[in-house]
Amino acid sequence: MTNPHWQSDAAAKRISRRNAAERRFKLLGLGAIVLSLSFLALLLFIMLKNGLGGLDWSFLSGTDSTDPDTAGVWGATKGSLLTMFVTLLLSFPMGVLAAIYLEEFAPKNRWIDLVEVSINNLAAVPSIIFGLLGLAVFINTLDMPRSSPLVGGLTLALMTMPVIVISGRNAIKAVPPSIRDAALAVGASKVQTVFHHVLPLALPGILTGTIIGMARALGETAPLLMIGMRAFVVTPPGGVTDPSSVLPMQIFLWSDEIDTGFVQNTSAAIIVLLVFLLAMNGLAIYLRNKFEVRW
Amino acid sequence: MTETKLTARNVDVYYGPKKAIDNVSIDIDNGIVTAFIGPSGCGKSTFLRSLNRMNDTIADARVTGEILLDGEDIYAASMDPVALRARVGMVFQKPNPFPKSIYENVAYGPRIHGLAASKADMDAIVESALTKAGLWEEVKDRLSDAGTALSGGQQQRLCIARAIAVSPEVILMDEPCSALDPIATAKIEELIDELKENYAIVIVTHSMQQAARVSQRTAFFHLGNLVEYGETSEIFTNPREVKTKDYITGRYG
Ligand SMILES: Nc1ncnc2c1ncn2[C@@H]1O[C@H](COP(=O)(O)OP(=O)(O)OP(=O)(O)O)[C@@H](O)[C@H]1O
Ligand SMILES: [Mg+2]
Repeated sequence: MTNPHWQSDAAAKRISRRNAAERRFKLLGLGAIVLSLSFLALLLFIMLKNGLGGLDWSFLSGTDSTDPDTAGVWGATKGSLLTMFVTLLLSFPMGVLAAIYLEEFAPKNRWIDLVEVSINNLAAVPSIIFGLLGLAVFINTLDMPRSSPLVGGLTLALMTMPVIVISGRNAIKAVPPSIRDAALAVGASKVQTVFHHVLPLALPGILTGTIIGMARALGETAPLLMIGMRAFVVTPPGGVTDPSSVLPMQIFLWSDEIDTGFVQNTSAAIIVLLVFLLAMNGLAIYLRNKFEVRW
Repeated sequence: MTETKLTARNVDVYYGPKKAIDNVSIDIDNGIVTAFIGPSGCGKSTFLRSLNRMNDTIADARVTGEILLDGEDIYAASMDPVALRARVGMVFQKPNPFPKSIYENVAYGPRIHGLAASKADMDAIVESALTKAGLWEEVKDRLSDAGTALSGGQQQRLCIARAIAVSPEVILMDEPCSALDPIATAKIEELIDELKENYAIVIVTHSMQQAARVSQRTAFFHLGNLVEYGETSEIFTNPREVKTKDYITGRYG
């Protein structure tokens, strides 16, 4: 027999109220998504409309110029690639090692807490400050070449490393402790346990975090202003020590030009940058799926 | 005829300031199964984990007193905890196979200890461990499948195979059947009975019937103390202590 409670008017009203609340919530969520997506669509539409016409081979293979018709984006693209290369080479191993140490090996004491707080804060420091730091340390003190992808990459690595440390720690934390117990109980050492079992399981998360950090570094302009990567460079950099620009900087410089011919160039360069970013995010998804272990 | 394999002398275990094991002394013999029973939270797992220094992984856990394996102090500076754990294996309450192939699960231990000189050696070790664990027939055609894709009971037998693949001298089992159905439990009990010929086996269990079925000696723990230790048949039919009697007759627990 059904409990009469469920047939009463009050119960019916309560249930219908609950359903209405549920519908309202769904609608609200949908609204939020539509709003943000429509901004993105608008941006894409304007960029494609303005920039698509300028996106040809000579634009993709040319370098910066005072003439909008001959100016191209290859110099800045190559600068971005070299800069990202330096950033990744430095921040990935350092970030992963720091994450492993903090999660698996560090003693639990006040010093480690302090390190933890510092790293979290570091991730929130405005990027221009890193630019000043790069200027002071790499250029003025260590005498590295100004405007070079080397200095740009080092500066961005400082910014990216905390992001990798934080995402790496979360990924390592998410590996079930029972896996560590299992490895230790057959006589694996701590280091073997971490490198044979914990790290492979944490890798998808670490890689995702790394790519997000790298994507942020790729779009960064402010710190690179400080270290002189806004120079007008007509030859693409041959190596990491040659003066160079980067994509977002090129966009910034062109958007500042008076010649209206550069409007198209600006939009076209934005398209190139967005394609770059999309490719990186695609890579993140691919790597995550490839290394994901289900259990 | 039995001989003492593990000896604990006046062992205390602390978690920070909290004492979880209080002055426990016990001799654990080779060739038999020793059961640890007692109410939840009385320190069975804590004591078990101190026998192969798994407690080292808990930051604030501290062990005092003496634990001897074949007369050697396992907490001595000269004792390498990694080598110790290869000699004193452990099976956990929840089956925890590596998210790798069945073969790899068993081969991992022998590989890191260099127990196999060739692929053929390794194959032989894996087959023998899986056979001893009573799993070989069920998995021999799918050794490259994920260990985590097995059923719960099969996973636990895989974990036992993994533990015996490194040829330990002692096997510690912390409620190995608590996540299993009666049929899988029966299989594992059978297995424990066969394995005891070659190892000293310690099993923690909440099931009186299980303790009575598989063990020859039983230790009853209560609030961190070892209340009573003796022949299983004695403990269950004629306990000396009132607390033991109350516990095994289900008056509390
Ligand atoms: N990592 C830990 N940190 C602090 N205290 C702990 C820790 N592990 C266990 N304890 C405490 O030590 C005591 C003994 O715990 P233990 O896990 O050994 O009990 P148990 O007999 O195995 O219980 P159960 O039958 O429920 O598994 C409990 O009071 C518990 O709260
Ligand atoms: Mg326990």
